Amino acid sequence: MNRTVVIALIAFASGCATSAYQRAGSSEDVASALAKSAPVASRPANAAGKPLVFLALGGVKGPRLAAYDLTAERVLWTQPANLKARVEVGTDVVVYGAADALVARDITTGAERWSHAIARDERLLGYTIDGSSVYLSVQKGGAHLHGGVGSVVALDAATGVRRWSHEMSSGDVGAPAARGGLVAVPVQSQYVTLLDGKSGDQLAQVLSSEEAATFVRALPEGLFFGSHGVFRLSPATAAGSRKSDGYGHATLPPFVRPVYWFDLYRPEQGDYSALDRNRILWRMTPDGAARFRDDLTFVHNYRFFFGFDARTGALRWAYNHPVSEAVASADVGDAIAFVTADGDVGALDTRTGRRLYAARLPGEVVRGATFDAEGWTPAGKATTTPSLSETLSTIVWDPDRRFWDVKMFAIEELARQPGREVTDQLLKITEQEGLPPAVYQKAGEALVARKDATSGDLLAHALEAHADYADGRTAPAVEILARAAGAMKATAAVPALIAHLRRPETSPAAATQIARALAAIGGTDALPALRDFVTMYRADPIYDGDPAPLVAASEAMLTLGGPAERELLLYLAEEPRTVEPLRVHLRRALAQTAGAAGVAASSTSADE
Amino acid sequence: MVVSLTSGVAEAARKPNKTKKAAPTEVKKVAPTLPAEKLAKVRELLFGEDDQAALDAAKALGQSGASNAYEPLVDLLSVGAPPARTQAAIEALGGLADPRTVDVLEVYAGNRSADVRRRAVKSLAVIKDDHVVAALLTALGDAAPDVRAVAADALAARKESKAGPRLLELVKRNDAGAAPALGLLATPELVPQLAELQGTVDDNVVAAALGEYLKRDDVPDPLRVDVVQTIGRLSGAASTAALVEYLAAIPAKDDRPSKKVAQKLVDEKGTAK
Repeated sequence: MNRTVVIALIAFASGCATSAYQRAGSSEDVASALAKSAPVASRPANAAGKPLVFLALGGVKGPRLAAYDLTAERVLWTQPANLKARVEVGTDVVVYGAADALVARDITTGAERWSHAIARDERLLGYTIDGSSVYLSVQKGGAHLHGGVGSVVALDAATGVRRWSHEMSSGDVGAPAARGGLVAVPVQSQYVTLLDGKSGDQLAQVLSSEEAATFVRALPEGLFFGSHGVFRLSPATAAGSRKSDGYGHATLPPFVRPVYWFDLYRPEQGDYSALDRNRILWRMTPDGAARFRDDLTFVHNYRFFFGFDARTGALRWAYNHPVSEAVASADVGDAIAFVTADGDVGALDTRTGRRLYAARLPGEVVRGATFDAEGWTPAGKATTTPSLSETLSTIVWDPDRRFWDVKMFAIEELARQPGREVTDQLLKITEQEGLPPAVYQKAGEALVARKDATSGDLLAHALEAHADYADGRTAPAVEILARAAGAMKATAAVPALIAHLRRPETSPAAATQIARALAAIGGTDALPALRDFVTMYRADPIYDGDPAPLVAASEAMLTLGGPAERELLLYLAEEPRTVEPLRVHLRRALAQTAGAAGVAASSTSADE
Repeated sequence: MVVSLTSGVAEAARKPNKTKKAAPTEVKKVAPTLPAEKLAKVRELLFGEDDQAALDAAKALGQSGASNAYEPLVDLLSVGAPPARTQAAIEALGGLADPRTVDVLEVYAGNRSADVRRRAVKSLAVIKDDHVVAALLTALGDAAPDVRAVAADALAARKESKAGPRLLELVKRNDAGAAPALGLLATPELVPQLAELQGTVDDNVVAAALGEYLKRDDVPDPLRVDVVQTIGRLSGAASTAALVEYLAAIPAKDDRPSKKVAQKLVDEKGTAK
């Protein structure tokens, strides 16, 4: 059953007097629940308040868990550990899912503190830590997302002793999030049940009426839920209205996978996966409406990070990490922290994308990581920050052939940047062999659109190349370069355009664009070549089907030429062996311009 | 209709060009001139409705040897014609070998049809004008093997040593049409490079080039011996054919060392078969 149908059925069920969701969507209940939650400081969760990252390591040394001190730039401890789900960080312990248990380790030593077994008829759906408590969602019996009994269990984080258990209204329960003593649990894709962290009592139910609530997320600035966008938990969003100012949604380019947080109904997303490498990073303003902090959202796409204006989608910065993929990342407030598969640890300034931090774990294979570094602002080692256009160029030229969608986006953004060097980069893309046609097309369209009048010489230089079998050279992208030359009014390109018009490998489509460009530029030097082109092919039946190149060349002759060109075209229009479509066009074009030609002719004779 | 209109090439053909288009004096001295009425009649046939008559007229002009026979042909090509007439006119210009037709032939050497280009290059090739060499060198880079081969042969016939490096590049790309020309034009410095292609290029192509080189009179025999031995190491029928052709080209009384080596290699190849 798909999620939409489920939501519809649930919405119907919620109207029933006996429904467990009778008060779902009550803003009073939500206000009351929030009033009970304690404020949360913007600092790491660990008792020492140190910025740490916990690393799931692999490689020849086997599966391990390591704690790394970001400030001291050293590994605090490493323990053998076979993680089946991601690490959650508390005050004194970290917890993670193992094969059949939830395991807690001492945060300072890595020693195992306790282990909470998951029974054979139970399914661990997810877990979190808030202060001194660990909360886990468990389904007993039933099948995944269907049937059975769902419950939330609270454990003492220090000992693993059970504090309470709350049976949920459905077995279709997601992983919890908790903040300031308030536990939020997604239920049946449309509800978020709020429990008292101390007692397990249900305090309120949110009804996400307009989009599925596949995640709940606890941050210092509040509790959030949503799927395609983000609701800040508040009385205003108790009924999940996207019209309320408690709903935020970033404007992002098409290549971005719109993942605001992990789908907590899917236990496989509870483990480190490709999803950690390709998602949106975001934080909200401390209170009030759901507004992204500094109006920025960030995109982590494997080796690339981008900062976007969340309101407009405008690109603010880009970062290209060399060679290896970032397997984990986190927006910790003023920095984007990340770890790569080969052990690079880094941080970027959220406002500029500048690399603030660089450390390394040599010889390690990192599978995933969890940051406990809220509010961490790296000191900022002196690094040179490449310009946005330079970074975008490195993305375009990156040898990794997997990321064409990102490269297409980079070309698009590159084209928006000013400067000759950008035009030069776009020209180089058109010259590069082996790229997908769509990339050439994108670069070419960008060249045409930017109309960079200062770069006519660069364009002319690019057009000077031509095909030569002996030298193993292929022709440049003449069609698109000619269009760009016309748009730029690149006078310097006229000789090269003429040369291409005379070359055998120039396609009809390219010849059409050359003729149009020459007319746009006003390249009267091209008249002999245009005349030769029209006459050479005007009786060639190959142009019977598509006379566009001949039409364009004859139009250019009319635009650039004088009485001699008109006379020639008049002859061709009447000559029976001229291909019929050209004859028809010439008769019409000559008739339409007859008046202007007459005026021009009499003006010329008057001048004489 | 008799055409008086001109395109770019026709203008160029008619304008006196002091630098490159002046007809050689010997042509002016010995070539007959077609009378104006005759020329007008042929022109009408060339531009007329009867295709066969137009083709015949073009052929006749090409065979006339008249110093003004090129004019109606250039006029036809300058205003354009259907492919059959175009090709006939280009071939006819080849028969005239008039330097004043270089421009129009160069235009048609850039035609999209490889067949038209091949004919245009072939007609250019017979014109004794330095300007033609550049066009022939350009044609070595043509995408069509036939066009390249015509240009290569023409450059070899003209003994244009400038073509050597480009021909070597073609041979490196396994272009069989360039191989004999390279053999005819290769300098002694190019020969080791050619020999080194063994294994990376089709042996038949290398053998064709070295075989032509062997037959040249200007090659010292010690170098011939090396070349013969190189050919002997090549596989394929072309290597045997090159040696046999070389032996056939040597006078019976000539007892040069390379002959003995070649004979021995031919015998060995025959035995091996």
